[in-house]
Amino acid sequence: MRRRVPIALPGVWLSLVVALSLFAPILAGHNPLQPVADPLSPPSAGAPLGTDSLGRDLWSRMLFGGRLSLGASVLAVSLTILAGGVAGLAAAMAGGWADRAIVWIANSALAIPGLLLAMLLVAAIGPGFPAVVLAVGVGGAPGFARLARSVFLQVKQGGFIAATAALGADPLWIAIRHVLPNSRPQLVSIMATHYAWALMGTITLTFLGLGGDPSVPEWGAMLNAGRVDLIGAPWAALWPALAISLTVLSVHAIADAIGRSSATARRSELET
Amino acid sequence: MTFFALRATGGDPVANLLAQGLASPDQAATLRHTLGLDLPLWTQYIRFLVGLLRGDLGVSLYTSRNVSIVIGEQIPPTAALASAGLAVALILGLLLGVTAAWSRRKSVGDLASVLSSLALTLPVAVTGVASIVILNVFFHNSPGAPSVAGLQQLALPALVLGFASSGGIARLVQTGLAESLARPYVLAAKARGFAVGFRLLWHALRPALPPVVSLTALEASFLFSGTVVTETVFSRPGLGRLLVASILRGDFPVAQGIVVLAALLYTAGHVLADLLALAIDPRLRRQA
Repeated sequence: MRRRVPIALPGVWLSLVVALSLFAPILAGHNPLQPVADPLSPPSAGAPLGTDSLGRDLWSRMLFGGRLSLGASVLAVSLTILAGGVAGLAAAMAGGWADRAIVWIANSALAIPGLLLAMLLVAAIGPGFPAVVLAVGVGGAPGFARLARSVFLQVKQGGFIAATAALGADPLWIAIRHVLPNSRPQLVSIMATHYAWALMGTITLTFLGLGGDPSVPEWGAMLNAGRVDLIGAPWAALWPALAISLTVLSVHAIADAIGRSSATARRSELET
Repeated sequence: MTFFALRATGGDPVANLLAQGLASPDQAATLRHTLGLDLPLWTQYIRFLVGLLRGDLGVSLYTSRNVSIVIGEQIPPTAALASAGLAVALILGLLLGVTAAWSRRKSVGDLASVLSSLALTLPVAVTGVASIVILNVFFHNSPGAPSVAGLQQLALPALVLGFASSGGIARLVQTGLAESLARPYVLAAKARGFAVGFRLLWHALRPALPPVVSLTALEASFLFSGTVVTETVFSRPGLGRLLVASILRGDFPVAQGIVVLAALLYTAGHVLADLLALAIDPRLRRQA
């Protein structure tokens, strides 16, 4: 019933954003921290997207901002995957009291809404980018651990695992060599959803001003800075808002597509 | 159910932020002593738990006022925003969900489901800023201009907050309704001569409602995180702004108190959701 967004469109947008962020120093043209024109001047030849309230070139700031937003969220989600994945794998493979302990910890962490858990971590560490990355990364870990654990448990049910164990394989070897590779399709889909969450979380925290120094270009912080001059100079908030929306929507669309394809892959596997 | 207290250990790190420039080392040391920050972490944790049981959340490091009072003052605006937001979420969610599943015109149904996907995915920060722009573009030169400020006080924030929560509700209504519309009893009702209208709609919608009700109870507790961003976007006073300000000032007793409150609400929401589900669906009662 729901029309499917062609997957090419989000893919093109995401690659564009990644490329622009990677080559930001070459493409920017201006120092993102130095004023180049009058404050809040509209888009012009010198500053194609206009300038912010301190006269800094928004095009350059958007490029460097994308670097930070994407980079921070990728780091955060890596932390989530690493911590949550190891915990989930340990729980699924060990079973018994270790399993119960890990699930208990994950469930107690999930008793607090994710954003609040992340904010609490920022409060403990102090505002700044390391805190944001750590908070978003750790904040996502309990949920990831729980989902990953159920995937691992499902794979562990397979007859080939019992066969390998019967041949006397080491549990760690089974975990790394057999359980992990066979969990890949479902894991990738969970990872994609968690990346969407990490991106939203990063931008939300920096929007709230928890990313520390506001002069550092970052999409969430720029959106908040542009909010002040919304009526007189809407462009200062427009670009970050547009970039955030399109990127978040693209990540969701791709995560959806991955989820669907892994579901079909599993179904066709069962049928053959 | 006390495990949410676990995070208190995470919230304890020494507030020497306060000492950075705001107080001399000597003053900081005395301050730490009076606040009990020089005690081992475990002692602090137990003190905090004991205080929590007595409803005492400690003293703000920034204003030296009682945390319960500081937090209590900010509850009314946030509660107003959250309840208005919940109402919007429920109305909008039902409207979008029913339209998406029910509409005979494909374009209308598609529009509704696109809107609910947007509600699910777009960050509140973006929709909030967009709503301010839209409001000001439309009402800029109209005679109603003075009311713009009034709208920004409650209606607009509630709309933004409600929109964000409506996505999940709409999705659930849509799938539930689509499922029950395909059931034989709907066909039977049609055959008995029910007009394709509200009565039939109600017939098909009712079985889809229980999960929606429990989701709404969950959303109600979840709304709190939404208010944090919404209050910042609209520069509205409330618990969310207080939380952000406390974190930025390193005022951890206040931040800690707010998070404990939120965790309590969240747990209460879960319990309420379970109870509502039991009340609505008798089949669940037998299992329990």
